[in-house]
Amino acid sequence: MNNERNWRRTLLGVVDTVTQPLIAVLISLLLGAVVILIIGKNPLAAYGSMIRGAFGKQVYLMNTLKRATPIIMGGLAVCMAWRSGYEAMGGEGQMILGAMAAALVGYYLPAPGWVRILAALLAAAAAGALYSTLSGWLFERFDVTFVISTLMLNYIANYFASFLCNYPLRDPEANVYQMQNAQTGELPAGATLPPIAKGWVHWGFVLAVIAVIIVWFLFKKTSFGYKSRMGGLNPRFALYGGINARRMLYLVMILSGVMAGLGGAFETLGSKSRYVDQMIFSTGYAWTGMVAALLANMNPIGTLVASILLAGLAVGSSQLMLMDIPLEVCNIIEGIITLFMSARMIRIAAGNIRRRKQAKGGGEA
Amino acid sequence: MVFEMKHITKTYDTVVANDDVSLHLNQGEILSIVGENGAGKSTIMKILYGLEKPDSGEIFVGGKLQRFHNPSDAMAVGIGMVQQHFMLFEQMTVAENIVFKNELKKGPFMDMERTVETVRQLSERYGLKIDPAARIADCPVGLRQRVEILKILYQNANIIIFDEPSAVLTPLEVEALLETIRGLAKAGKSIVLITHKLQEVMAVSDRVYVMRQGRVVAERMAADTNMEELAMLMVGHPLASYEIDPPKPGATLLETKGLSLVENGRQVLSGISLRVNAGEIVGIAGVSGNGQSELIRCITGLEKSTGGQVLVGEKDVTNRSVREIRDAGLAHISEDRYVWGSAPEGTLEENTLMARQDEMPFSSRGVIHPRAIREYAQRLIQGFNVKASSPAQKMRELSGGNAQKLIVAREMSLDTPVLICCEPTRGIDIGAMEAIHSRMLQRREAGAAILLVSSELTEIMSLSDRIYVIFEGKIVGEFQRGSMDDKHLGLLMVGGSIEHE
Amino acid sequence: MTYLAQVINSTIREITPILLVALCAGVCSKVQVFNIALEGTLLMSAFFAFLTHYFLRNIFLSVAVAMAVAMCMTLIMSTFIVKLKGQPMIVGMALNTFARGFTTFLLSVIFHTKGAVNPSDLKGLTKFDLPVIKDIPFLSTVFGSLTVIDYLAFALAIAMFIIMYRTVIGFRLRALGINKSAAGSLGINVPRYQILATTLSGSMIGLAGCLLSLGRNAMFIQDISGARGYVALAANNLCKGHPLGAMISSALFGFTTALARSLQGTAIRQQLLQCIPYIATIAAMAFYNAYARAKAKRRSL
Repeated sequence: MNNERNWRRTLLGVVDTVTQPLIAVLISLLLGAVVILIIGKNPLAAYGSMIRGAFGKQVYLMNTLKRATPIIMGGLAVCMAWRSGYEAMGGEGQMILGAMAAALVGYYLPAPGWVRILAALLAAAAAGALYSTLSGWLFERFDVTFVISTLMLNYIANYFASFLCNYPLRDPEANVYQMQNAQTGELPAGATLPPIAKGWVHWGFVLAVIAVIIVWFLFKKTSFGYKSRMGGLNPRFALYGGINARRMLYLVMILSGVMAGLGGAFETLGSKSRYVDQMIFSTGYAWTGMVAALLANMNPIGTLVASILLAGLAVGSSQLMLMDIPLEVCNIIEGIITLFMSARMIRIAAGNIRRRKQAKGGGEA
Repeated sequence: MVFEMKHITKTYDTVVANDDVSLHLNQGEILSIVGENGAGKSTIMKILYGLEKPDSGEIFVGGKLQRFHNPSDAMAVGIGMVQQHFMLFEQMTVAENIVFKNELKKGPFMDMERTVETVRQLSERYGLKIDPAARIADCPVGLRQRVEILKILYQNANIIIFDEPSAVLTPLEVEALLETIRGLAKAGKSIVLITHKLQEVMAVSDRVYVMRQGRVVAERMAADTNMEELAMLMVGHPLASYEIDPPKPGATLLETKGLSLVENGRQVLSGISLRVNAGEIVGIAGVSGNGQSELIRCITGLEKSTGGQVLVGEKDVTNRSVREIRDAGLAHISEDRYVWGSAPEGTLEENTLMARQDEMPFSSRGVIHPRAIREYAQRLIQGFNVKASSPAQKMRELSGGNAQKLIVAREMSLDTPVLICCEPTRGIDIGAMEAIHSRMLQRREAGAAILLVSSELTEIMSLSDRIYVIFEGKIVGEFQRGSMDDKHLGLLMVGGSIEHE
Repeated sequence: MTYLAQVINSTIREITPILLVALCAGVCSKVQVFNIALEGTLLMSAFFAFLTHYFLRNIFLSVAVAMAVAMCMTLIMSTFIVKLKGQPMIVGMALNTFARGFTTFLLSVIFHTKGAVNPSDLKGLTKFDLPVIKDIPFLSTVFGSLTVIDYLAFALAIAMFIIMYRTVIGFRLRALGINKSAAGSLGINVPRYQILATTLSGSMIGLAGCLLSLGRNAMFIQDISGARGYVALAANNLCKGHPLGAMISSALFGFTTALARSLQGTAIRQQLLQCIPYIATIAAMAFYNAYARAKAKRRSL
C-alpha cells in the first residue's frame, strides 16, 4: 500500500517536473515562429533546418555536444550554488578566468603535453574557485549581495582577460591586421584535449558528463549534499541543527567555481586551442548554462539534457543564416523559455489537481 | 440584532472547519466565542470579515443579506477586526498607520497636521492613550494593539471582532484591554471576542458561544454559567490532570553563570544564572519578549553572548558552535517550528535526519545510507504517532500538531542528557499537547535535565519542578513546585514584588 | 581648466541614464518587486527609440515609443513576479536574454549588421542651452550640449522624492512595501498597486534609453546599455531606494566612468580602465556595509 503510494508520488513528481518545461518550450517555439513569420519566412522550414542542423548529421551532433560542454559546466556551477540558497550568477566571470588560465598554462608551461593539460585544468579550476570565493567573501564579510557582486565581477573578468590577450599575452605570431579579435598563442598539438575518436567530440565532453555524475552523487548520496540542500531550504534550520554555514558557503562557492572554471578550460583546450577575446562573453555559455539548470530545476542529470538541447538550439540556428534568418532567434526562444519556466502557474495548477485528487481519494491528512 | 450568520459551512480540502454554524450579535453586546485551537472559531470570524468565503450559508448585517468578497466589503458595512497578528507598518508612525487607506488629503498630498490632530482627538474620545507621532517599531505590544483598535474606530466600525487579543499581552495589559472592551460596548459598539481564555470571557462577556470541531455546541448567558462548565463544553470531556512523582534531582547538567547579552546598545540579558539538574523539569516563566528567546539562543549557540558562561555537564560551552554544544549533550525544541525547527519544503526524512547526518548508521565517510534514514524516519513517525502518509512527504503538508510532534520526536530521540523545550505546544490541539507533555515527563523520569520555556503559565505551573521568573532579561525569582500561586507569579512576571506578604 | 569642465560635463552625461534607471529601481524596491530586468529594458528602449527615429524622423514620437516599450517590459516583469509568482532573478535574466537576442535580431534583419549603426544624416535629441550660462566660459562647457532629458533626470529625482514621501499615493506604496499583508487586510489590492507603480516608473528607463541611443548623435550599437542597468541596480542598493540618495550614488558611478574615459590614451590600457566603474561599485557597497556594520557594533558596546 505504502509502496504503491510512493510510486504514484514519484510518477506525479515526474509528470510535474516535465510538464512545466514542456509547456514553456512550446510557448517559446510558438512566439519564435511568430517572429520568423513577421520577417516573412516559413517557421516550420526554419525549425526543420534547425533540428537537422543540430542533430541531423554526425558532424552537426558533434558540434552540438562540443558547444554543450561549457554549458553543462556552467549549469553545474549554478546547480551547486543555487541549490544551497546562494543565488550567484558569477559563472561567466569564473569561466572566463578558467579559460584564460588554461590557455596561459597550456601555452607557457615547459612540460610534455599531458602534463600541460593536467596543469591547465588545475589552473582553470583554481582560477574559477578563487574568483567564486571572492564573491562569497564579499557576501560573508561585507553583505554585498551575490546578484550585484557576481554581475560586476563578470564584467571585470571579461575586461581583464581582454586586456591580457590584447597586450601582455598576445599571440606573438598573430597578424595584427587580419585579426578581428585578439588572442593568445596557439597551444601545441599535444597540449589540447583530443577528440574521443576521429570526427567525434573532444574528451572535455566526457569529463563534463563525469562531472555531472559526480555532482549528482554529491547531491543525492552524501551528507554534504544533504547539508547544502537544508541550507538552501531553510538556512536557520541548518544553523539550528549545527551545520556550519560559513564552511558550507565557502565549500559550495569553491565547488561551483571549479565547475565554471573547468568549463572555460574545456572550451580552451578542446575547442579553441587558445584564449580568444570575448570567446565566453559573446557566446553566453554561462547564461545558457544557468537557463539549463533552471529548466532542470537544479537537477544535474536534467541540466545535462537541457544543456544539450539548448546547445542544439544554438548550433541549429546557425543553419538559419542560409535562410537569411539571424541566428539570434535562439536567444529570443531561450529568453522566452526561461520566462515561462520562472512562472509557477503550471506548477500551481498541477498542485491543485493533485490536491483535488487526494481529496477525492479519501484523504491522507 | 446587528448581524446574523445562518447555516455557515466551510471546508478546507478534507477538513470541515465550520459545519452549519449559526450565530448572531445584539446591539451593544459583548459576545464571546470560545473553543480549542482548531474548533473553527477563527474561521467563522474570517468569513464574517470577508477574508474567507463560505461554501454555503448566509450573512445578514443590519437585516440585509450581504456577500463579502474581501475585507473592504465588510468594512463598508461597519465590521472591523483586530487581528491576532498585528497588521502594522513598523517603520511608520502611529498616525500614519491609523489613517492608511482613508488618508486626510490636501490635494494629492498628505495633510499630516490634520492627520495627527484627528488621531489625537480620536484617542481622547475613546480614552485610548497614544502618541500619534511615535513610530510603531518603538511601541510595546500593548500600544500596538491600541493602534489596531483605533484603526478600526477611525473607520467608523460598529462591530468589532477581537481575535485572541490577550495572547500577546502582559497581565496588566490584559486588564487594560478588558477595560477598553467594556468602554467600547458602553459607547455603543458591538463586540465579538474570540478566545480560549475563560477568565477573560467571564470577566467581560454578556453571552457566550462554545464551539467544538466546527460546530456551535452551546450558547449560554455569561451570568448563567461558570468556567468549569465552559471548559467541559469546550473539550467535550473532563480535563485530565497530571500525576507527577516528586523529583529525584541528580547532578547539575545545565548551568549558566551571569549570562549577559547586549544587542544594539540594549541590555537584553543581564547576569542570568540558573541550574537544571538531572531528573527535573525547570520552567522559565515570563511574558514573551523579556529575553527568553535570546537566553535560549545564547545557551544553544545560535547567538553569541557578551558575558558570562554556559556549562553543559562539566563542559564550558560558552559561545561555542551549535555543533559543539549539541555534541556536549544538548537537544533543543525551538520556539518556532517553521522558522528554526524544520525545513517546511523538505521531506519528513530530511527533517528527521537533521543533526545526525554525520553519524553512523546514517552515513559513513560522508556517504549517506538512504535505507537507514528512511527506517529511522519511519520509526519516529510511528513511535510518536505522527499522522503522515509517507516519510517522503513534505513537512509543510503536516498539520501544526503533527509537525511539532515530529520535531519533538527528533530532538528527544537524540537521547541527550539536557533537553530544551521552547513553547513546545504553542498553537497545537489538545491531543498533541498531552502527548508531548507525557513524553517530557518520561524523559524526566529517565533522568534528563529539561529546561522549559513557555508563555502559557498553566503549562509551566503543571510541569515544572522548579520555576525561574524572568523579567526584562533578569531572573527575578525562583520557586519550588507548589510554593507559589499563579497570581503572585503573574505579578512577578510584570516586575511587581511580593515582599509584603 | 577646459579639461576639467569637459570631465564634469561627461560625468553629468554618464550620471543621467544611470540615475533615471536607478529611480525606477527605487520604486520597484520600495514596493518589493525585485527588478533585474533593468538592463534588458534599457537596451530595448534604446533600440526602439533609435528605430522610431530612424524611420519616422520624429524625436517626440521616438521618446514616446521608448517609454512605451520600457513600460511594456516592466509590465511583463512585474506581472510574472507578482501575479505568476516567478522568481524575480530568473524573470529578470529571462527578459535580459530576450532583449539581447531581440535587438540583435532586428538589428541584423533591418540594418544587416551586428555592430554599430550610425547614420550620419540622423540628428539626436535637441540640445538645450541654459540662457545665461551659455555665455560664461567655464560653465558653458560644463553644461554644454546637454539634452532636455538630462535636466529632466534631476528634476525627476526631486519629483520622485516628493511623490514617494509627501503624497498619498507614495505613502500607500511605501506602506505596502513594508507590510503587504497589512495593506491587503485593509482592502488594498496590493498586486495591482505593485504592477501599476513599477510599470509607470518603467517609463523613466525609456527616457534613459533615449539618452543612450539619441543623446549625442543618433546611433545604436549592439549591447549599447553596457551593464548600466546592473550599475543602476547597485546604485539603488546603495541609497536604499531613496530618490535623492540615488543622485549621489549615481554620481559616484557616473564619475568613475567619466574618469575612466578621461584617462584613455594614457599609459593605462583601455580594458583596465573599463574595469574601474565595476570595481568602484563593489568597493562602494563593501565600504558602505562595513561602515553600517561598524556603526551598529559601536552602538551595541
